[in-house]
Amino acid sequence: MITRVAERDFVHVRRLGVGVARRLEAAPRALGRVHSVFARAVNVLCHDGRLVTLHGPGPLAAPFAAGLDRLPRLGALVPGMSVERAGERLVLDGLTLDWRGAEVVDTALAAAGDESALAAALREASLPAGAAALRSPVALDARRRLAAGLRHGDPRGVVDGALRLIGLGEGLTPAGDDCLVGMLAVVHRFRPDALARHPDVARAVAAAAREGTTAVGREFLLHALAGSFSEAVIALASAGTEGAAREALADLLTMGATSGADTAVGMRLGLEAIAA
Amino acid sequence: MRATATLVKRSLYADSVALLALARELRSHPGVVEAAALMATPANRALLARSDLLTPEAETAGPNDLVIAIMAEAPASAALARARAEELLGARERRQEQAGRRAPRTLDGARRRLPGASLALISVPGAWAAAEARKALRLGLHVMLFSDHVLVEDEVALKQQAARQGLLMMGPDCGTAYLGGAPLGFANAVPRGRVGLVAASGTGLQQVATLLAARGEGISEAIGVGGRDMGAEVGGLMTLRALDALEADAATEIVVVVGKPPAPPVREAVEAKLGALGKPAVVALLGRDVKGRRDGRIITVTSLEDACLATIAALAGAAWSPCAFSLPPAEVRRRVEAARRGLRPGPSAIRGLYAGGTLAHEAALILEPLLGPVLTNLSPAAAGPGSTGGLHRVVDLGAGEYTVGRAHPMLDPTARVQAIADAAGEDEVAVLLLDVVLGHGAAADPAGDIAPALEAARGRGRELAVIASVIGTEADPQGLARQTARLERAGAWVLPSNAQAARAAACVAGGEAVMEQLLAERRL
Repeated sequence: MITRVAERDFVHVRRLGVGVARRLEAAPRALGRVHSVFARAVNVLCHDGRLVTLHGPGPLAAPFAAGLDRLPRLGALVPGMSVERAGERLVLDGLTLDWRGAEVVDTALAAAGDESALAAALREASLPAGAAALRSPVALDARRRLAAGLRHGDPRGVVDGALRLIGLGEGLTPAGDDCLVGMLAVVHRFRPDALARHPDVARAVAAAAREGTTAVGREFLLHALAGSFSEAVIALASAGTEGAAREALADLLTMGATSGADTAVGMRLGLEAIAA
Repeated sequence: MRATATLVKRSLYADSVALLALARELRSHPGVVEAAALMATPANRALLARSDLLTPEAETAGPNDLVIAIMAEAPASAALARARAEELLGARERRQEQAGRRAPRTLDGARRRLPGASLALISVPGAWAAAEARKALRLGLHVMLFSDHVLVEDEVALKQQAARQGLLMMGPDCGTAYLGGAPLGFANAVPRGRVGLVAASGTGLQQVATLLAARGEGISEAIGVGGRDMGAEVGGLMTLRALDALEADAATEIVVVVGKPPAPPVREAVEAKLGALGKPAVVALLGRDVKGRRDGRIITVTSLEDACLATIAALAGAAWSPCAFSLPPAEVRRRVEAARRGLRPGPSAIRGLYAGGTLAHEAALILEPLLGPVLTNLSPAAAGPGSTGGLHRVVDLGAGEYTVGRAHPMLDPTARVQAIADAAGEDEVAVLLLDVVLGHGAAADPAGDIAPALEAARGRGRELAVIASVIGTEADPQGLARQTARLERAGAWVLPSNAQAARAAACVAGGEAVMEQLLAERRL
């Protein structure tokens, strides 16, 4: 057996979501395994079956993300590699991730009453079309059901639409999941009582998310149901002025290939439904 | 009997754009009827089942597995397409690996990697394109802004900032440029030479540059300014600055300005600048009320091809007069008569199905005086009030309504293939008029992409004249001769310029009367 004594790479975690911080603090030594590796992000599947996403500097791209001062070089991490926790560090083969001193970011979206800035920004923006699957007959039908359910306070309609969107479409987070996350952000922000009054909705959507979508899509949905979102979504949903909302929308649209646009489509759907 | 093939990649993620591109490439594979590339979530498996693409192997895949499902005319085609999918996924993974190791992620990072760089080419969604352009200008870089959907206020501010810094701010919506011999964006392989271009139109620039190249002449510098630069709001800020740059450029002996008619105050400023330029100029700002004329050293022309011919003549110190076709008149008559022979009695409508917006605009301007009103989706309308109705239609398939959720038709033939099939189903349509644009950045085989649709359209039991032009050179990656030959095999009459193709289409649709009118206006 060869013991590696050199070339250990140290990377600092600069920012992490409050939920991730709590989970890491409570995690056992055998934290989990590397789940998937991309050029700009690495997902770790933890002992509790949930994901933590590691990405480079900048706003947290997911409520379950940690922002590193730099990503480890590609090829240093491979799926299946074990991840251990040692105090406030994560230890992988040849790599140490240190989260001491990292800024803990609140990823909860607070409730508030005024949606005018967001509505104006979304109304005026010529949103990219998003993923093609969101315009498929199945998705259009699901969007109609979801909007009608929300508009009429009909929990069965909301669940019916949501379940048809979960896992639907292209991408790392299927477009239907992104759309649903956007709609949930609007509901949490501007109609928080709608979900509180109907806990069955969250239960049904969570159950469908656990079985019906990719691991990353599931993670976004479960966090969204709990009111936790990426920093780009929080910035847009809570923008106080139209200008700030426009800037936040521009940032959101940079997310993924079509994820940001798909999320914005969901936010617009949610806003139109609650306005009606 | 149709066959299906499935490729399941366990726990493999890819982003939406990559999967869309993969599925599109597979659909274009010989014999493939349908293809899809999706994560195998229950919802997506249901989608596949609805399209008869859900094989037993795909049924075993889970939400974290990528499924590529192919339906083909025969098992061999399905197997070949599956092998191609494997190959494409492998290449993608290798590219991703290389990108992760090498590609810089910010302008600052790129500048550190390449300290001598003097220009940033920015192609990001419009919402944040202006911010990236501002960053580039702050770094002292010239900017080519490929993105569109940038606010006009941002465009003005960026161009004012660039002017203060003595930099070029090309765009937004600048598709083509040549600086220091480097082709940027959608650009053909053309030689360097004596002609300096200022263009508010990417495909207009490409048409002029390729026609010059065909006559052995080359480009000194070609500066794109963006389609709105000569409008009232931007005021020609970059056009005027580009003219200054070409005046100072020793290699530029003649200047060509390409675009649509400017707003009146901008026209005055551009004319004044051209008048004071120490070099001859050819102006091809194509519009309904533009007449060809000569004013001292400034020649105004009414087509892109005329811009090329007037330039060549001016460089040679020779006289020039416009002609309708480069073929001998007798040959034109023979081809037109042959094309008209099989047409059914009754109205003969033209459908112009274009990838290039300026080429569509030029075609509409040529057709309307010869045939009457032409319906277009061009904005502003090329042919004035009449463009709201009429027998003939010219469609810019690169316009926003056709590019929702898909790439521009210079890259993705889907919209044009569909439009060809739709036009073939209309009884009154007798002539299809097309452009095929080659060059760096364009599709690998644009003629091959649409040829099967043309063959199918002409095989519907009636005559349908297909008239096309290919904007390209032999040195382009796609090869002018190869692309022309592919269109001709599909039954197209391929002319050397878009203007000639539009005139040929008018002759086929309008018959002898149009030929006579052209003869009266131009030498045949």
